[in-house]
Amino acid sequence: MRRGTQRKMPIIWFVLLALIFGLTILSSILAPFEPNAMDMNHIYEAPNGTHLLGTDQLGRDVLSRLLVGGKVTLFIAVFSVVLSSIIGIIYGGLSGYFGGTIDAVMMRILEALLTIPTLVIVLALQAIMQGSVWRMAIIMGITGWFVTARIVRSEFIRLKELEFVQMATMFRTPLWKILFSHLLRNSFPAIFVVTIFNFAGAIFTEVSLSFLGIGVPPAIPSWGTMLYTAQNDLLVGAWWMGLFPGMIIFVTLLCVQAIGGTFKQGGGRSHV
Amino acid sequence: MFNIENLTVRINDKYLIKGMTFTVPKGQITAIIGESGSGKSTTISALLGILPAQATLEGTIFFNGRDLIDLSRDERLALRKKHFFTIFQDATNSFSPTLKMKQQLYSLTALRLGHKNEAFLAKIKVILKDLNLSEDVLESYPFELSGGMLQRCMLACALYNEPDVLMADEPTSALDMLHQQEFIKRLKKLHTQLGTTVLLITHDLGVAASIADFILVMKNGEIVERGQVAEIFEQPKHLYTKRLVANHF
Repeated sequence: MRRGTQRKMPIIWFVLLALIFGLTILSSILAPFEPNAMDMNHIYEAPNGTHLLGTDQLGRDVLSRLLVGGKVTLFIAVFSVVLSSIIGIIYGGLSGYFGGTIDAVMMRILEALLTIPTLVIVLALQAIMQGSVWRMAIIMGITGWFVTARIVRSEFIRLKELEFVQMATMFRTPLWKILFSHLLRNSFPAIFVVTIFNFAGAIFTEVSLSFLGIGVPPAIPSWGTMLYTAQNDLLVGAWWMGLFPGMIIFVTLLCVQAIGGTFKQGGGRSHV
Repeated sequence: MFNIENLTVRINDKYLIKGMTFTVPKGQITAIIGESGSGKSTTISALLGILPAQATLEGTIFFNGRDLIDLSRDERLALRKKHFFTIFQDATNSFSPTLKMKQQLYSLTALRLGHKNEAFLAKIKVILKDLNLSEDVLESYPFELSGGMLQRCMLACALYNEPDVLMADEPTSALDMLHQQEFIKRLKKLHTQLGTTVLLITHDLGVAASIADFILVMKNGEIVERGQVAEIFEQPKHLYTKRLVANHF
């Protein structure tokens, strides 16, 4: 009974996350209003029949901005995670496969980078490169690969000692084939889990930086910038300005964490 | 065929093998017996050149007159590919968990020998049938098969490859009695028909007694006794061998 319940859990989170993704991807069709269209006659309107989630200080429809903003936030998260995964796989893979001095040097460099909080590095880079969604995604990508690299390294070290890899080496299987078909392929369960958690982290980072006013430019709607503007709006009683972006961020992170947690629990089975 | 002199393997100050000297004659089955941790598997790893990076290897390993330790990595790989086949102790880890068996068996056999897919399928199906394995094995993933089935798949690879030297590290450990007997029969057949030299590592004295020509007894990284099967089992000299034999029979 308990086992059955555990199996159903990820489906619920998958469906919910797919729904959020679907809504944001189709935001240009589904958004009832142009997200940047100002209407000074309808500023700070509470949720009503016309504006389901209300309007902001410039009379812009909150629902439309939430949908379009989701596209920006999720794009940054997806792009940065793909970039960080590629860097992490290459770095960790080379370190784990070659071992010895190469591994020692690469790991010391990685440890040095890990001692600096990622947020500080992101803040510094963002201060220099501030200005676009792409730059934000790239900054998060090049600062988010540390954990992936460590996981890939440990998986490669574990796998390269296993008999099937040693046999492939003995049979003079080309190096690229050993790296991709044996080591990387069998590391995917672990990489998948860490990528999911990195994705949640990337959403959180975008929201945090934008909330602090140093993320996505305020003119571009994202879940983070919506929370940023909501700080002042809450003081004038516009509770809907902060509540709905906060809720969608919370639900999205919950879904991603739950999916990641489920795969993490089942990770052992994938190595059987 | 193999002439090993003063073979020593250590990791830092810990000796895994201490000054082993022995020969593996061509066309014979040599078994190394001993308790777990006595250095049997390390011996095979040393012969194959797959010791952990932190291990230090000393001594000489002559194979057909060439010292394997002096060979370059590429030369050693070429020699291993041409002459050796190894059945590892852990059959589960002998196959990649994410690839189907057909692809893996192909890589371990036909690809090495340059056979086409059709020829591979025709030959491997006969071998699998001979080992009481159904053709469905080819379309399975390793996790769908039992340890015994995987071990028999490794033997199928060995039978397909017809190597000059077969090194088998505890090849019967995952097999039940029935399949163990079958395995021994096939191994003997390979040895008799093709003259394959076999180096067998086992802690099962029954297996060693039923198949080996010559036996080396290992304890704490050293060979404490050596001799023909009859000598070892009927007139053991070393106290350790006496204890092993007495406990088993």
